[in-house]
Amino acid sequence: MTKTYPKASRPSLDNVSVSIEKGEFVFFIGPSGSGKSTIIKMLLHEVSPNKGRVVVNGKDVTSMRSWKRPHFRRSIGCVFQDFRLLPNRTAYENVAFALEVIGKTKAVARRVVPEVLELVGLGGKEHRYPHELSGGEQQRVAVARAFVNRPLILLADEPTGNLDPDTSIEIMRLLDRINRTGTTVVMVTHDSNIVNQMRRRVIEIESGRIVRDQARGVYG
Amino acid sequence: MRMKYVLSEVLVGLWRNVTMTIAMIITMAVSLTMLGASGLMYRQVDDMKDLYYKNIQVSIFLTQEVSEQQRTDLDAKLKSDPLVKEVLYVNKDEAYKRFKEMYQDAPDLVNAVKPDQLPESFRIKLNNPEQYKDIYDQYKDTEGVDEIVDQSRLLDKIFDILTAIQNIALAAAIVMAIAALLLVANTIQVAAYSKRREVAVMKLVGASNWFIQAPFVLEAVVAGLIGALLGLVALILAKYLLFDGSLEALQGLLSPVSWGDILFVFPFMAVVGGLVSAVTAWVTLRFYLRV
Repeated sequence: MTKTYPKASRPSLDNVSVSIEKGEFVFFIGPSGSGKSTIIKMLLHEVSPNKGRVVVNGKDVTSMRSWKRPHFRRSIGCVFQDFRLLPNRTAYENVAFALEVIGKTKAVARRVVPEVLELVGLGGKEHRYPHELSGGEQQRVAVARAFVNRPLILLADEPTGNLDPDTSIEIMRLLDRINRTGTTVVMVTHDSNIVNQMRRRVIEIESGRIVRDQARGVYG
Repeated sequence: MRMKYVLSEVLVGLWRNVTMTIAMIITMAVSLTMLGASGLMYRQVDDMKDLYYKNIQVSIFLTQEVSEQQRTDLDAKLKSDPLVKEVLYVNKDEAYKRFKEMYQDAPDLVNAVKPDQLPESFRIKLNNPEQYKDIYDQYKDTEGVDEIVDQSRLLDKIFDILTAIQNIALAAAIVMAIAALLLVANTIQVAAYSKRREVAVMKLVGASNWFIQAPFVLEAVVAGLIGALLGLVALILAKYLLFDGSLEALQGLLSPVSWGDILFVFPFMAVVGGLVSAVTAWVTLRFYLRV
């Protein structure tokens, strides 16, 4: 597929073709502006390619009507570099919010949220506000929020970008654990340490083109 | 639970930016009051037209030196005229009696006039008061006719004034509505901005569009409805203070505004207020949130 943003001199993604299997763990690496984030945006149906198709979970996202987007998004969890937590809500409330706004009852939240907070290693810190948590802990809340709905795919856009190396490793262990439950994990990163340690599939993008696609790859 | 969430968001939203909410409600109220007033006036003018036109007369005054023959001819002609519903002949004595009644507060004037000096006349009612012109053209040159006076001429002037006031009220309503509309758009933008984090998360996790928009749209609708309620209060006060108060002297001229009329325009005001707010909010959100 190809994506050219308006006013851009060259395409952000140029004739890129990638296939990711269910349950895979994939790193997208490459310099800033290489088009990694555009891939994430396309998977979220936030932007559409000019040419080609994006197929997620057997559905053609390209031709999807925008009113179907909310429902489609429920099958995808997202984690970002800047956590994107609600500052005036506790860890528990942040995760519960994601459930409640898609129509789940408070009873469901009460059952599921503590469970997922336990899973990400925040047992006992449910009622802390984001400013009372460390960066790593905040990212755990974000992961819990992304995962609480048991999505098929977890998109992580530089989830360790704001974290120190040790904390980053912990977050990666968490993502690895989520991957083992059968969730496909797609992660965009700059962090060579992590890529080298994980030894998972690596797709390198440069100037909108795939220059490397390697199973059990390193940062290189 | 979702309903409860939406409603509590609406209240929080209205309270968050309370000065703006008040401004929004006030402009909305003024606009809707004007709208309601012009609606009332419309009914009023209709009522009055019915009332007055039913009783309206054309008077054909005869010259002093009219002959017996001319009078009988005219009488016969009027009675056979298809435009005419009723003919009443008023002789000099009858005219003097009416004159005395009309000016009973001014005995000097009554004393100065002799029955002889007052003209005889035919008072006619038309099937359709608007056909006055035809009658006028037909009889103005008839022998013995001095002058033809149509009461509806005078009434038309009154109705022209009322219609003008009605149009002014309507224009004011529209101008205020534009102001209200811009305030709604602005309030919604501010609300959307202050909730941008929540909205971003909701979009991310796949909350449906209506769920994201509902609190904002309802916020505007609630403000619109409160505005309509205040407009109702304003109209009631206006009836109480103006029509039943300082303008009471005009009661004979203006037909009274009933409570029923006011209750009749209220749903109209409420629907306009609610709908305008909702559509404005929704359009604003489409641009601002792009949901």
